[in-house]
This record gives sequence, C-alpha cells and structure tokens, in this order.
Amino acid sequence: MTNPMDREAVAEPLNPLGFDGIEFIEFATSKPQALGEVLERMGFRPIARHRSREVELYRQGSMNIIVNAQPADVPRTVQPVERPILSAFAVRVRSAESAFRRALDLGAWDIPVRALAMELNIPAIHGVGESLIYFVDRYEDFSIYDIDFRAIPNVDPNPPAVGGLHFFGLVQYVGADRTADWVEFYSQIFGFAPLPDTVRFGIMPKGLLLQSPCRNFYLQLIEPDDTARYAPADEHLQRIGFGTPDVLGTVALLEKRGVEFLASEKVRSSERGALTKPCLGSVMFELVHDDSDATLARR
Amino acid sequence: MIFSDFGMDTASLAGSLETKLAAVRQAGFSQVMISANDIVGHPSGIAAGVHAVRASGLRVTGLEALRDYEGLAGQLHAYKVDIAKSMLDVCRQLGGGTLLVEASASTHAETDPEALARDLRKLALLAIPMGVRIAFKGVPWSRTARDFRAAGDIVFRAGCPNLGLSIDAFDVLAAKVSQDDLDAIDPEQVFLVQLSDFMWQEMRSAEEETSTATHFRVFPGEGAHSEELASFVTKLDAIGYIGDFSFDVYNDDYLQIPPEAVGGRARRAAEWLAETVLRRALPVPDTDRLRRSARG
Repeated sequence: MTNPMDREAVAEPLNPLGFDGIEFIEFATSKPQALGEVLERMGFRPIARHRSREVELYRQGSMNIIVNAQPADVPRTVQPVERPILSAFAVRVRSAESAFRRALDLGAWDIPVRALAMELNIPAIHGVGESLIYFVDRYEDFSIYDIDFRAIPNVDPNPPAVGGLHFFGLVQYVGADRTADWVEFYSQIFGFAPLPDTVRFGIMPKGLLLQSPCRNFYLQLIEPDDTARYAPADEHLQRIGFGTPDVLGTVALLEKRGVEFLASEKVRSSERGALTKPCLGSVMFELVHDDSDATLARR
Repeated sequence: MIFSDFGMDTASLAGSLETKLAAVRQAGFSQVMISANDIVGHPSGIAAGVHAVRASGLRVTGLEALRDYEGLAGQLHAYKVDIAKSMLDVCRQLGGGTLLVEASASTHAETDPEALARDLRKLALLAIPMGVRIAFKGVPWSRTARDFRAAGDIVFRAGCPNLGLSIDAFDVLAAKVSQDDLDAIDPEQVFLVQLSDFMWQEMRSAEEETSTATHFRVFPGEGAHSEELASFVTKLDAIGYIGDFSFDVYNDDYLQIPPEAVGGRARRAAEWLAETVLRRALPVPDTDRLRRSARG
C-alpha cells in the first residue's frame, strides 16, 4: 500500500547496527608479559584475567585492550607468536545477535562458538587476514568482562587515561587495488563511509579513511608502495590510533614513561599527531589530534 | 616471444595435475585456469594440489567453476553458500585470484533480477576477505543469464567492486550474439575472457550446443569461426579490455592425446592471437599500469 505522504524512497538508516564505537582491541602474542610492559608504558593497566583462557584485560580511560596468548582453536585466526599481532576488534552495537545475523546474510564468514559453560558467546566474523571482528551489546549497565573475567585484586578497575587518550582508529594494510573491496566490506556490514581525500588526521598522509556510522572511529586503508605492488598481498591490521586533545602534551607525558617516538625527516611529532617507534618487532601506536571523546564522556 | 595475456585450462589436458601444469609450462604459458576437481581430487589431498600449483610458478588465472548458485531459496540457498565458501577457501589457498561462476541452470532458481543480484552481492562479499574476485558468466542453457548482456545487467545491479564478468567467446559465437553489444560493457567490469572455437558452421539445436560446449571445443584458429573470433578479440581490445584470455577448450579428443600435443596446439593459438590478431608480441614493462593511465 502506498502512503500518500511518501514522496521519496527512504534508504536504510545510516547506522543500521546502532554502531557505537569500539569495545576492545585484541593482540595475540605468545609473550604476553613483554607486550604488557609496552602497554603499561602507554598508560594501560592490567585489570582482569579471563576465567578459562590465557587472556588478560588492560584498560585506561575508555579503552580496553585484550592480550590473548591462548593457542588458536579456529582455522584462519591468529596463532600467537612472539611478535604481537593485532588479532581482533570488537564493535559496540545495539543488538549483537541481530548485527551478527545481518552480517551473515550479507556475506560475512562466521566463526564457531567457543564459549565454555557460563561464559558469554560473543558472536564474531572473519575480518582482514586472520583477524576477527566481534559484536558486543553489553557495555553500559554491565560489561562482558564482568562475566568472563576475574578482576585482579586491589587494582583500580578504571585507571584514568594518560592525556585523555581514547580509541581513534585502526590502520589496515590492504593489497594492491584492494581499497574498493574493503570499502565495500566495511560499508555493507557496518555502515562505514569513505571520507573525501581532503579530510586528513594525524601525520601519516597515505590511504583512504573510512568513518564509522557513530562518527568517532576511523579505519585507514593503505595499499602497498609501488615497489611492493607485485609482492604477494599481505593484508592485516597494522596499528592502533589513539585520539588526544593535546598531542605534544601527551607525547611529553608518554616520553616520561619511557615511550619513544619517531623523529625522522618525514615523520615527527607535531600538533597533528605522532608515531611511536616500533616495539617487539611490529607494535606501534599513532597519536592523532582529536578533541572529541564521546565514549569517555559517557562513562 | 611473449603471450603472457593468454593461458591454458587444466580441463583441456589429460593426466595428473602435475603433468598438466608441466605441459602448460612447456608450451610457454605463464598462467593457468584451474578446474576445482584437479585440486580437490588430488590423490595426495588438497594441500598437495595447492602446493603443486604454487610450485609450478604459473599464475592462477582463476578457479572454475561454481555452478547453479544464484536464485535459490531456503535450505538450497544455504547449501550452495556452503559450497561457495569451500570453493572460495580453495581459491584463497591458491593465492586469491578469480572464482568463475556460471549462471545457474537449476530449475529451482528464481529469475527475479533483484534476488539474483542480492545472491551475487553476498558471494562477492564472502570473497573479499579471501582476496578473491568473482567473475560471473552467462551461459546459453542458464535460466538466470544466457549471455554476457544478461550477466552484465545482474553484475551492474549488484554493484560490487570485486564482482565482474567473464565473457566466453564460444557462447557469443554459438548463439550469434552481436559483437556490437560489447560496446555497452565497461571493460573494467570484465574480469576474464575465455576463448575457444568449434568445428561446425552453426548449431542445429540447443542439445547440439550443449554437447559441443562440453565435448567438442577447439582452440582459436582451429575451428570454423576464426574470423569472428579474431574480430571478437580485436573488439575487446578496442573497448579497453586489459585482462587475461583463457582457452576454455573442453574436447574429448584432447583428453586422449598427450598433454604436450595439446599444449602445442594452445601455443599455436596464442601465437596466432598475440602476433597476428592483436600484435601483442612486444611486451612493455608494467603494461597494465600504462594502459590504465592511458585510459585515465
């Protein structure tokens, strides 16, 4: 039946999943303590351990980082090795179940349920390379960590963020001529939207930026340099970007904690952003000037 | 001599996968289209099949073929998605590349273009994390897309960057599809062109077309339609097609002669096309990039 008031086709809402930021980002490594030291220098604190798996939760401000040392039990997922690898991120959505079902209908790959008795079954799909993307809808009144994790005794479960640090984005390396494919993936399944080339954050100018439907998280897709175009495609999550309202102030605070930043001809700390020197082979963090921290404000 | 734009198909050759790959290499080709059953039917298992392909040094043109996929509902759809996922996984193990999908001939397939586009969009999205492109091919006996025009309509409607067309010269020649229709095709949307000919002037019936397509194809230059084939290839070149040409020659006789002999025939076909028809004999470094930038 046609409603006479309908003058135009109403497209799917811009935020079909009720996407509401990032719940956690996960590293896999067989040397969790070494990575833990790096995270602590960046201002994170270990606050809880998983009940059945070799998994630890680090937190500062609104950010949760999971360090996973459990050997992989699902094909096409990251097998922890010494060098830490970004192995998953979890998106906050209105309903994890309906977001997961919708993703599968559209053409996402699911992973088998791994939860043990009394643990949460957090639905996940395969992302880039061997990484996973989880859907989480319990993050306001109580959290997924209340159930699956045991708090470490006598530790502040909500350590403050150094310099107002918060999740800003993830950098993903993609194969040659693969940007359009990944734009399709993230826009279809999550409602991310590509930003025009004129919009730039931080000091690393390359790649295409995708903005989350909640508008406070970004993915940056970077294709290989000309010389590497014909090498076999290696696609993976490369680094985390943190937002901070005062990049140079935060750099100074982190340097006091022992974090080293790149200072070369091309890359050096500025008001716009900064990049840490790589640790443990591949772990680096990017700071980006960003005043907004919606997730912090809500807590 | 360079004919790196051309490749053979393991379905044209007799013998083990290793024998076939050796014959393709010996004939001077640098790429090969892989029939899925050559991998999954490898006597030492899939991993050995994948290893043989990777060790051959040949580039994989694509994996063939997912059939009767689109237009199904309920359990049938779920079953076919499962089959598709297995084939995509084999494709990934082969190093990505292209999965050839033939338009459905299933009597259970519905023909609503929107539903077909939705199914192909789903397949394309499944293929993205695997680094795979989907090449959809119209076939004369399909219920959903009988030729490249119909297949192109569905691909356009689906609108996915890793979903494109495969155009098969045999189907164009046999069904006498006008080559002018290629003008309406966006060359960037064509992921693969397959080339073969046949011996008779025309098809007398649909049955004859089907049996010829599956048993009596010959290499370009060997059949009764060399002129049309030459103009088809020239036309593709003129509209700006820069991708691969694969010889999809399914011929029962070729499966009873030594693979080296079949390789020799394929080589003659590639020489004829590269040097006489297209004059692509001289390679230019990074040709793809130059062609792309020339086109803007």
